[in-house]
Amino acid sequence: MAVPAALTEDQIYHRCPPEKLDFDTTDALEDLELPFGQDRVLRALEFGASMAASGFNLFVLGPSGAGKHELVKRFLATHAAGKPVPCDWCHVFNFQQSDKPGAIELPPGEGRKFKSDMNDLANELKTAIPATFESEEYQARIQELQEEVTRRQQKGLFAIQEEANANNIAMITTPAGFTFAPMRNGEVIEPEEYKKFSDEEKELVEAKVEDLQKKLQQAIQQVPRLRKEVRERIHQLNEEMVQLTLGGPIGELREKWSHVPAVVAHLDSVREDVVEHAEAFQDNENGAPAGLLNRYRVNLLVDNAETRGAPVVYEDLPNHQHLTGQIEHRAHQGNLYTDFTLIRAGSLHRANGGYLILDARRILTQPLAWESLKRILFSGEIRIESLERLYGLATTVSQQPEPIPLNVKVVLVGDRMLYYLLSHYDPDFLDLFKVEADFEDDLDRDDQSYPLYARVIATMAPSSGIRALDRAAVARVIEHASRLASDQKKLTAHDRVLKDLLSEADHWASQAGSARIEVVHVQQAIDEREYRASRIRERSLEQIRRGVMMIATEGEQAAQINGLSVLQIGATRFGQPTRITATARPGKGQVVDIEREAKLGGPIHSKAVMILSRFLANRYAPLGELSLSASLAFEQSYGGVEGDSASVAETCVLLSAITGVPLKQSLAVTGSMNQHGEVQAVGGVNEKIEGFFNVCTQARGVNGHGALLPASNVEHLMLNEQVRDAVREGRFTIYPLSHIDQAIELMTGMEAGVPDADGVYPENTFNRLVADRLAEFAEVGKKKGDGKENGNGGNGNGNNSDD
Amino acid sequence: MATTATTDKPDAPAGRVLILLDGSRLSLAALEAAAEIASARNAEVLGIFVEEVNLLRTAGYGFAREVGGSSGLARPLDSAAIEARMQALAEAARRSLQQAMARRGLAQTLKLCRGRVAEEVLNLVQPQDLVVLGRVGWSGIPGARLGSTARVLLRQAPGDVLLWAEPRVQRQNRVVVLLNHDQGANHRAVLVGAELARRSHQPLSVLLRTGSEIDQSVAEDILAYLQSEGIAARVRQIPAASAGAAVRAMQEEGASQLVVSRSCSLFADQGAEALLSALNLPVTVTP
Repeated sequence: MAVPAALTEDQIYHRCPPEKLDFDTTDALEDLELPFGQDRVLRALEFGASMAASGFNLFVLGPSGAGKHELVKRFLATHAAGKPVPCDWCHVFNFQQSDKPGAIELPPGEGRKFKSDMNDLANELKTAIPATFESEEYQARIQELQEEVTRRQQKGLFAIQEEANANNIAMITTPAGFTFAPMRNGEVIEPEEYKKFSDEEKELVEAKVEDLQKKLQQAIQQVPRLRKEVRERIHQLNEEMVQLTLGGPIGELREKWSHVPAVVAHLDSVREDVVEHAEAFQDNENGAPAGLLNRYRVNLLVDNAETRGAPVVYEDLPNHQHLTGQIEHRAHQGNLYTDFTLIRAGSLHRANGGYLILDARRILTQPLAWESLKRILFSGEIRIESLERLYGLATTVSQQPEPIPLNVKVVLVGDRMLYYLLSHYDPDFLDLFKVEADFEDDLDRDDQSYPLYARVIATMAPSSGIRALDRAAVARVIEHASRLASDQKKLTAHDRVLKDLLSEADHWASQAGSARIEVVHVQQAIDEREYRASRIRERSLEQIRRGVMMIATEGEQAAQINGLSVLQIGATRFGQPTRITATARPGKGQVVDIEREAKLGGPIHSKAVMILSRFLANRYAPLGELSLSASLAFEQSYGGVEGDSASVAETCVLLSAITGVPLKQSLAVTGSMNQHGEVQAVGGVNEKIEGFFNVCTQARGVNGHGALLPASNVEHLMLNEQVRDAVREGRFTIYPLSHIDQAIELMTGMEAGVPDADGVYPENTFNRLVADRLAEFAEVGKKKGDGKENGNGGNGNGNNSDD
Repeated sequence: MATTATTDKPDAPAGRVLILLDGSRLSLAALEAAAEIASARNAEVLGIFVEEVNLLRTAGYGFAREVGGSSGLARPLDSAAIEARMQALAEAARRSLQQAMARRGLAQTLKLCRGRVAEEVLNLVQPQDLVVLGRVGWSGIPGARLGSTARVLLRQAPGDVLLWAEPRVQRQNRVVVLLNHDQGANHRAVLVGAELARRSHQPLSVLLRTGSEIDQSVAEDILAYLQSEGIAARVRQIPAASAGAAVRAMQEEGASQLVVSRSCSLFADQGAEALLSALNLPVTVTP
C-alpha cells in the first residue's frame, strides 16, 4: 500500500479568503435581524409561537452560552409586536361570598379607568351618604319613625295603666317588671284593710288584676315584634335614601361601562351592598369605616395599558409564588389580615395572552414550581393558592380568588440534557411542551456564510459596546470560529465564546489605543486566553522536558510508540503524547489490556483492544491458532484511559513487539481502527497534533517530526501558526491514514505487504514478518503440549480472553 | 327608719349633693357623676334609698304577680321575697356609695326611708342642694327616657336637679345652656353651665331662645360675663320654636351636657319632657 502524501499547509488550515469580505470595518455592515444558521430553531419558534392548540409550548434546547435567551427574547419581541394586546384583569369584592373575590376581564387599558372610577365612587360614598343621613329630611323622618315606635310601645302600656287606674288598681314598677294591686287615692291599699272587703269586691278586684296581667303580658310580648318592625322600616328608609343618593353616580357608571356586563353586574352588587350597610355610613363624622369602603375598590391585577402587542415576560425567579401570584397579608397588632386587595399577580398573569420565558433549570430547582406550572397549563386557568394551603399545612380562612382563564405560551429555555431527561422521566412533559426548538452548535462554512458571519460579528459588536473590527480581524475571528468548531467546514455558533473573544480583543485594542480591532488584537485575545489556561499544560510539558514523564521524540524503538491524548480541564483542552508499550510472547491468543485490568480503562478502550485482538487473529492466523500472549499499556498514565483513538497506535506497537521491528519515535499516531484495519476518525486532532508539536519543539526543536491521523479527520484540522510554519518549511509532516498498513509503512519504513491469493504475504514485508513470527509462537505452543501456562499476561486469568 | 351616718362634717358647705340610689345600672353611673361633682365642690353627700311603700304593700297580696318587663312572664310576688330584695339592693347601694366616696375622701350618709320616692326626696331636699338621679330607674316602660320620679322632681325640686344619662358615644364636647331670652332665672343656669364647663374643661355654648325681635344686649351681657370668668364660650340665638327645634340646635352644637332653667318656656307645656326624652345626655335643671 502506498504511503499517503503529507498534508500541505492549506490542508491543515482553512483560511478565510479576504476577498469574500467586501468591507473595511464592521461599521459598514447592517445588523442581522435574525440569527444566521439557526433556521431549525427559528422555524420551531415561529411554529410554536403561532400554534394555537394547547400543549404546544416550547422548549428551546441548546448548550449553555449559545445565546438561547437572547434569541428567544428577540424573536418573541418581534413576533409579539404584531399580536393584539391582551385584556386587563382585576379582582373585585364578592358580595355573595366574601372569601371568593371575583375576577373581571376588561379591554386593555380600561382596568385603570375602572379602578379610578371605583375609587372615585368610594370617595363619593364616603361623603355623600353621611350627608344624606345628616340631612334635615332624613333626620325628621327617622325621628318620626322613632317617635312612632315609642308611642306605639308605650301606648299599650299606658292603656293598661289607664285601665288599671280607672278600676282603682295601681300598676307598680318592680326591679324586674310590673305588678298590680288595688289602690285608693293613689296609694296601694294595705293588705290588712283589703281583707275587710266583701267577697264580691275581692273577686272583682282579683279578676280585674288577672285580666290586666294578661293584657300586660300580651303588650310586653309584642315589644320585640314592634322593634323588629321599626328596624325594618328604618332600614327601608335608609335604602330609599341611599338609592336616591347613589342613583346618580352609579347610573353614570352603569352607562359608561355598559359594554362590560360584568362591571354592570358588579355595580349593581355594590349598590345593593351600600344599601344593606347604609347604617354603617350613618353616624360617623369620619365617614364610613375604611374597611367597608375598601370593598368597593378594585384590585387591578393585570394592567396592559402600557403593553404594546402581546406581552413577553421573562421570570428570572420562577418560584411558585412568582408564577401563580400570591395573597399577601398585612400585619396588624400581631395578627395577619388579608383581603382581595392584597392579591398579587404572578408572571403567568402578566404574560397571559402572550409569552412567558422561563429558565428550565431554575424552575426545576424551585420547590414545587414545576408541578404548579404543569397544573396550571393543564387546567388552563390560573388559580392563586399559597403553598401552605395547597399542601394542607394551613387551614385558616383565606381568600380564594376566582381563577383567571389562561392563554399563554410558555417558552422553557434549557440545555439538551434537561430536555431529554424530562422527556424520559416526566410523563406530562411531552404533553405540555410539544415544540422542540433545538439550537445548532455549529454553522456551515461556505462562500455564502462569510458575509453573514461577518454581520453576526457586526451585530454583536455594538450591542456589547465593542469597537468595530477591520476586515482582517473579522477573517481571523472566522478562522478561529472554525477552530472552535474543530472543523474546517463549520463555524461555531456559540454566542458566549464569540462574544467573549470580541470583548477581549476590544480590551487589547483599547490597551493599544487602537480605534478599531485589528487582527493583532484578535490574535492577542486568543493567545492570552490560551496562556491564562496553560498552567497545567506547562506543568505537563515540564515533566516531559525533565524526563519525569518519558517521551522519546528521536530515534527508533521496538514495542514503543507515541500515542496522542487530549485532556479537558474546565473550558480548555490540550493534547499531549503518551508512550504506549507492548509485549508479546507465545500464549493462548489473548491481548491483555493492562489499563482495563487495573480498572483504569473505560469500556470503549476495552472494545478497541478487543477489536485489535480480533483483527490480529483474523489477519495473521486466519486458519491456524493464534498463539499469542500480549499486553498493552499506557505508560505513566494514572488517571484512566478512555476512547478508541489509540487503536492504530496500539496495533502498530503490538505488531512491533511481535516482530521486534523498531518504530520511529519522531512520529506520533492517533486514529481508531475497525476489524478490517480501516482507520476511522477521532476527536481532538488539533489539540493532539499541537500537543506533540510542543513536546518536539521543547526537546530539540522540530525537525523531521510528524503526526499520523485518520484521513477523515483532515477536514477538522485548524492548526496554529507554529505548526503551519513547520509544515510549510518541511520540518513537520502530517500524514492522513486510511488503512493500518499505511501506518505500518510510515512507522517502520518497511513495506506492509499484500497477501497473495493463498493469503501469504510476500517476502521481506512487514506483514510477512508478523505472520512468520506468530507461526513460530504457534510452534512453541505446540511443543509445550497442552499449554497450561498462560504467558506473561501475569494476572491475565481469562477475564480478557475473548477466544 | 334607720339613718346611717358613717362620717359627718358639721361645717359642710352650702349645698349638699343628694344622690338617689335604687340599685339600677343608671343610678350607679349617676353615683359616680355625683361623686365627681361633690368632690369638686367639696360637698357633703347624702345617699337616699327609698323602699317604695306601694310595692311592699302589693307584695302582701296573695294574688299579686310580677310580670317580667322584657319577657312578659308572670311569677308570684310575696312580701318576704320583696323585703329580701329591697334589703339586698339597699346593701348594694350602701356599698357602692361608700366605695365611691371613700375613694375621694368625701363625707357620705345613706338615708334609708320607706314611702313614695318623690315625696321622700322632696322632704329631704333644700333649695341649695343638688339632686342627682338617673333619668329612669329600674325597669320602667321600655324605651322610656324619663322615669316618673324624674318627672316629678324636675318640676318640683327647690334646687338644681341633675338627670344623669349615659350617652352611647361620647363625641360631643360642649356644655350647652339653653335659656329663654326674656326669663329672669338666666343667671343661675349660666352659673351652673360655667361651673360645668370649667370642671369638665369643655367649651360652653349658650342657646338663647328668642322671639321675633332680636335683642343683642342679653347675648352680649352673657358673653361678657363668661369671658370675664375665663371660659371659652359662644352665644347663639335660636327661634323659640318647638322642643324638636331645640333638640336639633343642641345636636348641631355638639352638646355633651345640657343646662336648662325650669323657668324656660319649654316647661310651660310638655316641651321639657319631649326635649329630655329626645336628648340622651346629662341634663341639669336649675330652678
